[in-house]
Amino acid sequence: MDAENSVVTEPQERVLVIERVFDAPRALVFKAWTEPERMVRWFGPLGFTTTVLKADFQPGGGYRFHMRSPEGADHWLQGVYREVVEPERLISTFCWADANGNPTGPETLLTVTLDERGAKTRLTLHQSGFESVTARDAHNGGWSSSLERLAEYLAKA
Amino acid sequence: MVQQQPVQQQSSPDRLSTIFGALSDPTRRAILARLAAGETSVTKLAAPFEMSLPAISKHLKVLERAGLIARGREAQWRPCRLEAGPLKDASDFLQRYRRFWEESFDRLEDYLRELKMREPKIPELKIKEQKKNGRRK
Repeated sequence: MDAENSVVTEPQERVLVIERVFDAPRALVFKAWTEPERMVRWFGPLGFTTTVLKADFQPGGGYRFHMRSPEGADHWLQGVYREVVEPERLISTFCWADANGNPTGPETLLTVTLDERGAKTRLTLHQSGFESVTARDAHNGGWSSSLERLAEYLAKA
Repeated sequence: MVQQQPVQQQSSPDRLSTIFGALSDPTRRAILARLAAGETSVTKLAAPFEMSLPAISKHLKVLERAGLIARGREAQWRPCRLEAGPLKDASDFLQRYRRFWEESFDRLEDYLRELKMREPKIPELKIKEQKKNGRRK
């Protein structure tokens, strides 16, 4: 058993990294992310309806979405675009909020990168900084996804 | 199967922030990993680290504040042990985010497929990158 090493040597600092290859050209995938009328077609878990209340696609521009679950529960999502590089990268803050725009979850940083894979596109999503901004500034570091493994280990222990 | 909430959490945002903040440091994560093997004293805990005892104690205080560890009350030997609850909260929280994106991407996949079929009719989607690649599909 060597639980400490599996954690200590884990270099990964980002919390969530998800990759997916889409059978579509990169510019199209980018549009699907950035054009509100396209985004609402897919954004959110199955059965959720999404409405774009605001989407000012430029660095410093804000966005705010409303999402309704199949059971009728309302959620709001908001943030600020930090970097918009068509058609390859989109960086924004990402935070769940209530009807009045008060955060209901930690502010996170979302980086979406699109790479061409022939006629296909590889999308890489990084979501980091699940601690509050204040905590992040104070610690100036990420934490490892090994947390999940640790929690699994604990569940079994 | 449909999830009730996209990613919101039972624990308050502040509480989760404290947990994630405490987990943001490699030394603290290593301490937690050691404690996963069972409760131990501060001295034993500090042994593998090139750090003073007070420095380790500082880390332990952060972990304790976040509820990630508990410490015995015996004066000399104050064993530290892991508290699994908050770790699980943090891990569940992440799992909900993962599911949020995975399900969204499933839908994006369907949407893109649909678009590609209609693509010739949508001039704005005739993309120069595509011409450069010279082939579709």
